[in-house]
Amino acid sequence: MTLTGLTSALIADDGTADWPRHVPARLETLLATMPLAARAGLRAAARAVDAYAMARTGRTLSALTAPERDSVLGELAARPALLPLLDVLKVPVLLAAGTERMLQDGPAPRGLTRQDPPLDLTPAPAWPARSTADAVVIGSGAGGAIAARTLARAGLDIVVLEEGQHHSTESFGRRTPLDRFTDLYRDGGATVAVGNPPLLLPTGRAVGGTTVVNSGTCYRTPGHVLTRWSKDFGFAPADGFDRHLDEAERTLRVATQPVDVLGNNGRIALKGARELGWRAAPLRRNAPGCQGSCQCVVGCPTGAKQSVQLSVLPEACAAGARIVTGARVERILVDTDRPGGPRAAGVRVRRGEGGGFEILAPLVVVAAGALQSPPLLRRSGLGRHPRLGRNLSVHPATSLAGRFAEPVTAWEGVLQSVGVEEHHAQGVLIEATATPPGMGSFILPGLGTELRRELETADRLATLGAMIADRPSGRVLGRDRTLIRYDLDPRDAGRLLRAVRAMGELLFAAGAEEVLTGIPRTPRVRSLTELDAALAGTSARHLHLSAYHPTGTVAAGADPHRFPADPWGRLRGVHGVLLADASVLPSCPQVNPQLGIMAAALAITETAVRA
Amino acid sequence: MSGSTTSSAATNTGSPARGTVFRETMLGTLRLDDEDRTRRVRLDLTVSSDGRLHLLGTTESRATGRIRIAGWADDAHAEGELEISPLARRRIRYRITFTADGRRITLDGWKSVTPRRPVASMTVLPYTLQEDGVRIGTGTLRFPLGTQLLPFLASFRFPRQVDPDAFLAPRWRGEPGRTEVWYTTVTDPVTGSGLWLHHELTAPSDGSEPYAQGWAAVFPKNGPVRHARFGPAKWTPEGSGFTADGVVVRPGRLSGAAEGGALRWDLTERPTDEPLFTFPRWSWRRPLLPAAQMLPAARAGYDGTFTHDDTTLTLTAAPGASARIYGHGNARRWAWLHADLGGGDVLEIVAAVSMRPGLRRLPPLAFLRLRRQGRTWPRRPERSAAGWAGAGRFRAGIALPTWTVTGRAGLRRIRVEVTQPADRTLALDYTDPDGQHATCHNSERADAHVLLERWWFGGWRTEAEWTLEGTAHAEVGTR
Repeated sequence: MTLTGLTSALIADDGTADWPRHVPARLETLLATMPLAARAGLRAAARAVDAYAMARTGRTLSALTAPERDSVLGELAARPALLPLLDVLKVPVLLAAGTERMLQDGPAPRGLTRQDPPLDLTPAPAWPARSTADAVVIGSGAGGAIAARTLARAGLDIVVLEEGQHHSTESFGRRTPLDRFTDLYRDGGATVAVGNPPLLLPTGRAVGGTTVVNSGTCYRTPGHVLTRWSKDFGFAPADGFDRHLDEAERTLRVATQPVDVLGNNGRIALKGARELGWRAAPLRRNAPGCQGSCQCVVGCPTGAKQSVQLSVLPEACAAGARIVTGARVERILVDTDRPGGPRAAGVRVRRGEGGGFEILAPLVVVAAGALQSPPLLRRSGLGRHPRLGRNLSVHPATSLAGRFAEPVTAWEGVLQSVGVEEHHAQGVLIEATATPPGMGSFILPGLGTELRRELETADRLATLGAMIADRPSGRVLGRDRTLIRYDLDPRDAGRLLRAVRAMGELLFAAGAEEVLTGIPRTPRVRSLTELDAALAGTSARHLHLSAYHPTGTVAAGADPHRFPADPWGRLRGVHGVLLADASVLPSCPQVNPQLGIMAAALAITETAVRA
Repeated sequence: MSGSTTSSAATNTGSPARGTVFRETMLGTLRLDDEDRTRRVRLDLTVSSDGRLHLLGTTESRATGRIRIAGWADDAHAEGELEISPLARRRIRYRITFTADGRRITLDGWKSVTPRRPVASMTVLPYTLQEDGVRIGTGTLRFPLGTQLLPFLASFRFPRQVDPDAFLAPRWRGEPGRTEVWYTTVTDPVTGSGLWLHHELTAPSDGSEPYAQGWAAVFPKNGPVRHARFGPAKWTPEGSGFTADGVVVRPGRLSGAAEGGALRWDLTERPTDEPLFTFPRWSWRRPLLPAAQMLPAARAGYDGTFTHDDTTLTLTAAPGASARIYGHGNARRWAWLHADLGGGDVLEIVAAVSMRPGLRRLPPLAFLRLRRQGRTWPRRPERSAAGWAGAGRFRAGIALPTWTVTGRAGLRRIRVEVTQPADRTLALDYTDPDGQHATCHNSERADAHVLLERWWFGGWRTEAEWTLEGTAHAEVGTR
């Protein structure tokens, strides 16, 4: 098996420990969930490395001894051009290795904080081929859930269609983080924005949408962003947004994270900020009773995090809404011959086997997320607006790790614990973020023995992440499959480098012995001066970038030429289609957007109900 | 009644839109939510819409029919609606309500048309059964192409959409030399009496003022015929019918009095059949013939009272019909019959000789319309009157007290013999627009014998035979 050799080489499986032997199999299950291109690319790379080993030694990697494999990898790593490629290869391997290692000596499972409230769920195969409803909500994420609740409470008969499956808190506690990871993320977490540089853009796919896998951080949309939305774009919900933000916070039980379970990662960030005199504080989160499991990104195993499937959707179901799982909407049905212009008539839904089903409803609420809503509208014949799919904002992000003398054990505590807002005015928001091993955006340096050593000493690392407020420089293409194009704006590239410097400064101030930069050519720096020198010769392309919080692809606003949706989120050119997700936000929200999305969806659907 | 008259007046009724009617049968299965087995289902529908089917647009239609669900329901009075929109909305939706086990159930489903699978998507109807808006079962119906396609295609009909009330509106637009008539004949099934209400507008040929007049007559079973005139009165154009001297003909209503109240009537009229054009339909729309007669409804039911002297008849669903005539005046000779044959069948005959020079030398043109089981024979009125350039035309022997009409069209032939006994006949004087006079001999208690035969391998077999004793409405006009 080609992957066995590569895996053994990358993590230096010298037979001294048991867990590395299970990594190839784990990697195979991970690959099975990834899109074809990612799978093929990884296998091709593995074959190429094997071919190189064959050319150099006459044997494939799996036939070599540990020192021989190290020497082959060493030769490859000596070529700077190959370093980014090898880093990409390391990502899934580290994910699999982290899981196997944790299974051996990871933290023990914790008890449930509370039982899941009941939901009215129907798997798609059990849903009738023909049915009717007052309104159909496509997507059960932050926007869809609040839309469903608002409409159901207004007495409408609501059906929520979710492409993903439902996962109970109890099922999270039962399975390894990686198993959950592959189930909960679209494309196995390997959604990539094509561009320069390419960005990893993971999004959730489950009942609850991305709120199941986000960190639970709940920022209120900043005032200056709301002012811009209202004044510059004519985004009507922005007026009176505070009331809706209050309601969203109340629903999610948002509160400042208590410091008792914060974890060492957060404490280090607070310490660094204190040393520097920077503004920093534990984040406001929607996780009352958080036990610091540090598994937010693969579904909270204790049920503390109030993702919408634990908070909003149960209330929607109590008001009569029904959720269909495993239901991917093929198209919105449009009656083109209605008096007054085309009108949405319902949806056609694909289900795995046995064809599809159709639901007729005079109101269709699109809440499939900023990456899925534009293709859905296109394949429904509603994608004629020239700005549909454009205006994509994400939060490009990078991360940094600091090595400390004492064990940090970052994966014990709150996953995203502390926010450092010192540079927020300059568009940089630093958040202390630790993940289960291998799942963060930070990639450990080295190959072979060096990488293995990093893995063994990963408990001494503290990680910080920074996301920047970007210019909307992406677009979502495609009809049946989403293709994301994102070219980092030069201004934003500068912001990313400044963010790396600020994080380095914070880590050194907190007492880090060295900082792992993630830059392939200078993976380690031991002082701020060294960091500055490393950054001087680096562009943002060399950083390990990921991105979160896609917004703005079906933006709402006053100008009919600029915005595909009108100020109240109604899609232009058709009656009866409402946008109630991140795609409707007119520009980058500059903070974690869950509250903003919920508030916008609430305002849009409340207005629709009143109309 | 007045006989054939001549006219060239413009029509005031537009071309009636045609509707669409077709029948569809689908077979399939049903699974009720509280059962673990499927039941067989058969749905037979008759679908009708007010307009033609717009294949590019959407047609809303009514549906009636029968649904049979094995072991659960057999409702012959299922009804509902169809939304037929195969291209614009790519959907043919059925919403049919029926009774099963005493419960009102709605079948709601639609064919979802897609060009990728044209046949399957046009023939498969997945549906949901609902009771009070709550789902109780699901299933699929299929249109069996092999056995049902030809019957389905052959079932398409495009009937004219007519509003019987529109035929009551006056046709006269101020031309001199015209006669327009509204007349109604009724048989009271309780007393056996016949009634005749005649309302007429005459516009003299010399251009003098038009006038409205008329009369009412009652033909009691035991007693002499009584009639009374009203008018002549000034004609005041009125949108929906006839109004003069306190006598009114409006859609659904006839009222008035004659001879200072000696005869009074107040009747409501309920059409129970489609319009019947005794003359060709085109001759009513474009008055090229000397005159034309038609019935807004081939049959109607009458309720109300008719008082003559001290006797009051109370009618309840009394059978009869109203008719309309518009033309240039009365014919030279004519005969008319309206016979309610029972069971929804009706026979209408007008046989007339025109006053026009040349035409007056022709034998009577016999327009015969037999509406039987919803279909009218002969199919075209011209067939009985003119035949094939005269050959094979129906023949009328106009005389008193008995006159006859005989004829053959296709594989059928008919013989009608009408007898108007003198003691049940009323003779009245008609005045043409040009001042000439004619005499009509009318009886609303005439006898008639109708024999309909069908040719069958070498011989004529009786297909139907009717004998009416005192319930036929007939008239013969002479000069």
